[in-house]
Amino acid sequence: MSTAAESSAATSPSSLIARLERELRDIWKQPEDPTAPPLSRVCTMNIEVVAPTRELLERYTPVIDEVTASIPARAILASLEPEAPADEITGSAAAVCALEGGKKVCSERITLSCRGNAAARAASAIEAFLVPEIPTALVWLGRVHVDDPVFEDLSNDASRIVLDSEYTSISSVIGVAAWARKQRNAPEIADLAWTRVAAWQEMLARFFDDLETRPLASKVSRIAFKQAGEPGASIGPEAALMLGWVGTRLGWQTSRLAGALRFKRPDGANVVVELGSVPRPKGVAPHALAAITIEAGEVAAQPALRGSIERELASGLSDQANTTVDADVMLWKCARSGLPEIEQRVRLGSNKAARWLERTLHRPIRDIAFDESVAFAEQVQGLVIS
Amino acid sequence: MDDLPAQKAEDPAGRPPVSPNPLRRGLIEDRTGDACALVIFGASGDLTKRKLMPAIYNLALSRSLPSGFAVVGVARRHKENEQFRAEMHEGVAQFSRRKPIDPALWGDFERGISYVTGSFADAATYEKLRAHLEELDEQRGTRKNRLFYLAVPPAEFETIVNHLKASGLVADPTHERSGGPWTRIIIEKPFGHDLESSRELNDTIASAFAESQVFRIDHYLGKETVQNLLVFRFANSLFEPLWNREHVDHVQITVAEEIGVEGRGKFYEQTGVTKDIVENHLMQLLCLTAMEPPISLSADAVRDEKVKVLRSLRRMERSMVRESVVRGQYGRGFVKGEEVRAYREEPDVAKDSQVETYVAMKVLIDNWRWGGVPFYVRAGKRLARRVTEIAIQFKKVPHTLFNTPDGGISQNVLAVRVQPDEGIALRFTTKEPGNATVLRDVAMDFRYGTAFGSNTPEAYERLLLDAMRGDATLFTRRDEVEEQWAFVDPIFDAWREQPTPPPIYPSGTWGPEQADDMLARDGRRWRRP
Repeated sequence: MSTAAESSAATSPSSLIARLERELRDIWKQPEDPTAPPLSRVCTMNIEVVAPTRELLERYTPVIDEVTASIPARAILASLEPEAPADEITGSAAAVCALEGGKKVCSERITLSCRGNAAARAASAIEAFLVPEIPTALVWLGRVHVDDPVFEDLSNDASRIVLDSEYTSISSVIGVAAWARKQRNAPEIADLAWTRVAAWQEMLARFFDDLETRPLASKVSRIAFKQAGEPGASIGPEAALMLGWVGTRLGWQTSRLAGALRFKRPDGANVVVELGSVPRPKGVAPHALAAITIEAGEVAAQPALRGSIERELASGLSDQANTTVDADVMLWKCARSGLPEIEQRVRLGSNKAARWLERTLHRPIRDIAFDESVAFAEQVQGLVIS
Repeated sequence: MDDLPAQKAEDPAGRPPVSPNPLRRGLIEDRTGDACALVIFGASGDLTKRKLMPAIYNLALSRSLPSGFAVVGVARRHKENEQFRAEMHEGVAQFSRRKPIDPALWGDFERGISYVTGSFADAATYEKLRAHLEELDEQRGTRKNRLFYLAVPPAEFETIVNHLKASGLVADPTHERSGGPWTRIIIEKPFGHDLESSRELNDTIASAFAESQVFRIDHYLGKETVQNLLVFRFANSLFEPLWNREHVDHVQITVAEEIGVEGRGKFYEQTGVTKDIVENHLMQLLCLTAMEPPISLSADAVRDEKVKVLRSLRRMERSMVRESVVRGQYGRGFVKGEEVRAYREEPDVAKDSQVETYVAMKVLIDNWRWGGVPFYVRAGKRLARRVTEIAIQFKKVPHTLFNTPDGGISQNVLAVRVQPDEGIALRFTTKEPGNATVLRDVAMDFRYGTAFGSNTPEAYERLLLDAMRGDATLFTRRDEVEEQWAFVDPIFDAWREQPTPPPIYPSGTWGPEQADDMLARDGRRWRRP
């Protein structure tokens, strides 16, 4: 990956936009050196990234560069620091290129820093750079305030808002989802934590794929989650979304008895939901989902099916391309009365921020299961690890 | 193509319908295959090592394999499980698109690989296999589902199929509809060498398997770009209104290879390019290009439409073959600057061989949509470039407003590149900047690799997974195969009656001049893709 011309200077927003547009045009001029590989500009979407500090944006820039290497896009990255003393917008433009088949395939990256009162004008500066006729994803780093005018303006143009509840909170995602439900033509909401649990969902669904076990899906008597962290902590986003997903798929209802949360199946029987923890190895995110156990059958004490999925935390490879130390192995086990236990190992992909964002952007924009699971997760926020 | 899990279905035996798994509702993550044992006959051959096992391993890496899964190799050569596993490990290490092998997964994957030694003609082999599969049902949870892959020459099909039936290894297809165990069989081309042999082969298979259990692989259909043809045509409102005789002047389909017969002289002497490429891959590309919108994406709905195209192909009368079909054979020449030998100098090729390594045809489709629009198709070896593409050449504008020195405005072309550089390009005319009105052709060029990254699954991955899921959309149905032979058979009859040798074209060119003449007679010329 290589970066072409880049420059930065403080000026009025309109002059800055004009200068950056000129710089972008210059990038695509024919190279003077005839032997230089030709640049190919490719753009399949706009990716807007908004961060509360310049430092966070700088840390996130390599993530975006990695994403645009596989999803060519125009990336517009902005930091908003309304409390900063100076009122200014500064910016730079660059081409981020990957060499493919002797050609440089390039995305464009525009970086804006909006400080002081100029932060209020960030949305109009960002919108000036949007490429028309292609989807726009708004990646909001940090907590979202839905009444923030910058958020409101940018979300009007976005087809999807991408959050990461692991780094904000599940309540932040719940808040944005509730806001989106009230809007007309609201963008779809995506959470990177939801993408991370997709493999867990598929593995959990496998327990009920067989004709014999399928009826047991309506007879789940116990489900236990383990997440990386300390006892006493609240349920993390991944476990909350998983619980929301299972609960909504299986038609469970929640209720309170003396303040305690209870789960009921459609046939009125109780479902025991447990939350536990395992030690968090170095490099593993807080609250990362570590295990799920599910039991189902007519008699809760003697389940006809007992399934478990255990993530071997920090078992990832470190010596292969595209994998990281936390590309963990998951062990899937299914025990059914009268039959030998079956197990299977699968490998999760590398747990890099770029990979999750890329996968999220590749997913269909509308995901009803996510909306339903978030609504359910709202009710289980108070669950605490026993 | 439909990725929905089990549907509610009526059971002929009156058992209650099968409800879908509620946890699969709205699940975006790809569905895995059904639990099954994949039994490969001819497992010691190259196909298993180079293609099948790397594809299965990549499915495991993508978490697409079911939890209850096993691979059983069957072949004559004696081997212990350990030796077979070691050979498969070597094959995967060498040919997998994702390297190196993941040791944590391989250990688990390898435990599901086993080998049964035996002659295909010996009933005892199948008894041994049956006992072994029953063990796997218990130990690996393969649920009595069997996917047989015949990676053997067609001459062996009858023996294997008859023994499978006789030994009770073929499940009743009606049971599958109510969620009972299933049996499927995958066979590789060639599906016969003419219409008659194809019918015989199909009859043999039909004696043991229902058509719904038969999956005939044409690996071209597993390619992303080929699948995208349906999406491109039927998910965009822009192109379909233009996709007919009113707007299309002609269509060119090219399957060109740079390589020669690469040590397969013996095979090629019996087939030639028409049977090797045109009868199957090229006909399938033509069908997908010309077919009407199917009523759904179910396997039979798509295949019904393809069959209609095949039935609409104007059959080649003998006189038509002379005018509308050109064959050729490569001589010496230069490919990518390297001197290469002539076909007749290849090992296992007769010095006076008349086998065609190039064929070009003008194909007419007699239906409402395509009446009068020629489809020029060509396939060949040792051509200038390796390229497979479908080019839709639109009609010229009815009147030229612009004063163009070369006498006309170029036609718009929509080119779908199947390989390499998979993508779609649209050529149109623009004005060059300046005070004068100078016209210039430009292309809007979409490339898969650039837009979506290049790490797409191999065709065999997709096709094996579809077979495990029971989705036959990307497999060829019996009537398709027979219609394809019915179209090419008269060409061979005509060639047999006119035993003139095929013209020689220099390697590294675009084929014999006669092919250019064929288009020139229609006032057209071949593209240089």
